[in-house]
Amino acid sequence: MKRRQKKKGSKWLVNGILGFICLIWIIPTAGLFVSSFRPAADILETGWWTVFPHKGWETEEQMTLPKDTDLKEPIEVSGVNYSDEQLKQGVTTTEGQKLVWQNRRGRIIDVQEKQWKTNAVFTLDNYKNVLGGKNYEITQSDGSIKIEKGSNLTRAFVNTLTVAIPATIIPVLIAAFAAYAFAWMKFAGRKTIFVIVVALLVVPLQVALIPVLQNFTALGLNGTYLGIWIAHTGFGLPLSTYFLYSYISQLPRDLFESAFMDGASNFTIFTKLILPLSVPSIASIGIFQFLWVWNDYLVSLVFIGSQPNVQVLSMRIAEMVGSYGNDWHLLTAASFVSMIMPLAVFFALQKYFVRGLMGGSVKG
Amino acid sequence: MRTYHKKRMVPIVIMLLLFTMMMSACSGNSNNEAVPTKEPAKVETEPKATEPAVTEPVTSEGTFLEQALAGKFKGTKVSMFGPFVDADEQKFSASIKDFEDKTGIDIQYEGSKEFEATISIRVDGGNAPDIADFPQPGLLSTFVKQGKVIDVSSFIDKAYLEKNYNKSWLDMANIDGANGKIMAGVWTRSSVKSLVWYPKKQFEEAGYKVPQTWDEMMALTKQIADDGDPAWSIGIESGAATGWPVTDWIEDIMLRTTTPENYDKWVKGELPFDSPEVKNAFKIMSDIWFNEDYVYGGVKSIVTTAFSDALNPLAQNPAKAWLHRQASFITSNLTSATKVGEDIDFFYLPPIDPQYGKPLLVAGDIYSMFNDRPEVRAVMEFFTTGESIKTWVQSGGVIAPMNDADLSWYSNDVDRRMAELVQSASTLRFDGSDLMVGSVGAGTFWKGSTDYISGTVDLEGALKEIQAGFPK
Repeated sequence: MKRRQKKKGSKWLVNGILGFICLIWIIPTAGLFVSSFRPAADILETGWWTVFPHKGWETEEQMTLPKDTDLKEPIEVSGVNYSDEQLKQGVTTTEGQKLVWQNRRGRIIDVQEKQWKTNAVFTLDNYKNVLGGKNYEITQSDGSIKIEKGSNLTRAFVNTLTVAIPATIIPVLIAAFAAYAFAWMKFAGRKTIFVIVVALLVVPLQVALIPVLQNFTALGLNGTYLGIWIAHTGFGLPLSTYFLYSYISQLPRDLFESAFMDGASNFTIFTKLILPLSVPSIASIGIFQFLWVWNDYLVSLVFIGSQPNVQVLSMRIAEMVGSYGNDWHLLTAASFVSMIMPLAVFFALQKYFVRGLMGGSVKG
Repeated sequence: MRTYHKKRMVPIVIMLLLFTMMMSACSGNSNNEAVPTKEPAKVETEPKATEPAVTEPVTSEGTFLEQALAGKFKGTKVSMFGPFVDADEQKFSASIKDFEDKTGIDIQYEGSKEFEATISIRVDGGNAPDIADFPQPGLLSTFVKQGKVIDVSSFIDKAYLEKNYNKSWLDMANIDGANGKIMAGVWTRSSVKSLVWYPKKQFEEAGYKVPQTWDEMMALTKQIADDGDPAWSIGIESGAATGWPVTDWIEDIMLRTTTPENYDKWVKGELPFDSPEVKNAFKIMSDIWFNEDYVYGGVKSIVTTAFSDALNPLAQNPAKAWLHRQASFITSNLTSATKVGEDIDFFYLPPIDPQYGKPLLVAGDIYSMFNDRPEVRAVMEFFTTGESIKTWVQSGGVIAPMNDADLSWYSNDVDRRMAELVQSASTLRFDGSDLMVGSVGAGTFWKGSTDYISGTVDLEGALKEIQAGFPK
């Protein structure tokens, strides 16, 4: 009985800590979500949390002091003297009111009281601009003004899928083959090659950008989907291989031995036994790779560029803010649009995800 | 059977591997020799680029632009890479559409917010665009030094360029190359920096007058302070580039307190930061910046206010601040409710010492050429004409540096007055920090100024810190 209670107590503790961590993670996203529905001018002035009812200062009345009030001298407001600095910051009177300059040059003072209020002004404009494309006014040579509609996200969304799906499948498939070979096949230099693969894990991809670009230029692969598939495959392979190796090498040996004895080839073993058995870990590395490719900006920037016919979502969104960053408020809505796909992938594969994370962690 | 197959596979795989390695090795070599272009014209034109003695600029068939307009390069493509995106990209496409239709040349523009970082990767990777748009000549000069940029004057008539551009522009395009100075590109867009923005309507209602001299401006600043408002709204926060608005102030004051020759020396690093001229400029700026009554939000807020938000206090009603010195682009950060020209307008940052005339600080975009093909030459030639930027000028937001760009094209008064400033300025100088060595112009100059404004070092210390950025 006692033991059970103790267990229950620690469960509450763990859940409490987990809940707290979740909260810390969710709050910024929630703030972004709220901001994405607010007009840009409001975002600049008040925080997103002010959309909820809260107590704040609300102007009740205004007082106009005589025009010739000297700001350098103590200023008398309804019988009490305040300094200019106090009125700049806002000063609380004995009645719980706050006095603050509304217009210092006009000598007007706001008298404010604490009240419940909300700043709940919402708009769909951010989403409209992101999903429907912005409008640009262009004056033509004859002087007439033409309204040009900017491109929306559809094209970039499709492009990103075109990049991300093969760039997930190809490396994971190759990595699965490699992992099987490293784990169960005997060939010369197996250990050496595997160590090289693991060593590649710590090589930052930035160092490879220029050499790879030079080769791509020579082969005419720049700005093509094939080029970026290859690039993502190369950059994703070491981790995928290592991840799958740790799972596949833990599969029970007896399974393959009986299969060998029955005359199965390596290929048959791989497709008939390994693949079905390692679905959880393939799914989780698939999620990893997909998220990485979907969110990638650098590799796309270098290898695929921003021609509209191949431009990916992350680059399109960065462009939306304009040359001078003047449309920064669109980022809020755009990031939620770009989040849809990773969320869908994650929820579709999440039941494998947790199982896959454990892959290879328990030696047996 | 199976093992036999496997053994025979091994040599085939090795052969395949060797073959691919050889392939990539070969192509890698050819890549080092020349920037490959897929166009067939490559072979005949490449020697022109490398030979110092250049062929006649004007052939019997006319200039390259004329040949293009005659339809000679129909169906060719010219790739372009630049930093402007979104609305600017649309305006650019509109301005070249007519040319594309007439000549059949397809100008494929690609814009990137990470232009500065990407262009180096692309050029080093052998994937240079045909034409690149540099907003900073300092960045361009590194490529010119490496001999990667084509000399524009090798195919465009010099007399024509001199006719169509203010001499200052051409001088700024003359950059030291691998074998002497070359004309590294053509100027296509410019923006004016020596501007002070003010809330016009309220300004007039309050009875203030636009100052004509620096002293008048200081008197106005004091008067506004006495009336109860801080005059200046200043913000220098800009992420990793925090501090750059200081450089513009200093450059503007330098042009107004010393000779253009001294300015050029200073930019080149020959006149040190701790010289009396530069120190004086910092002092003149400090008279405004370090006066609690003159700065909106107080001196402490300067470092934490985003440069892009600093115009907003002027747009409020009643205005929270009355003056803001910033380049022409800043109006794009206003909400559409504020009308530029009516609610908010600019005046020319007044001269300090009358003997230096009316100097103007400008910035601009220079288009440079990396691959030499006839159709690229034609496009470059097209960009020297005011016509190439006409609809952009009409749509607003850009000043044409070419002399044949008519003032009547400007659809609003604000842009037109800026264009007049450019054409009438006694001295035209490019934003100095963009010309300085990167370690100073985009490094210690920003950082040292920010330290000075935030009060962590005194002026002496800040100037020493900035000067230390020059390579020894």
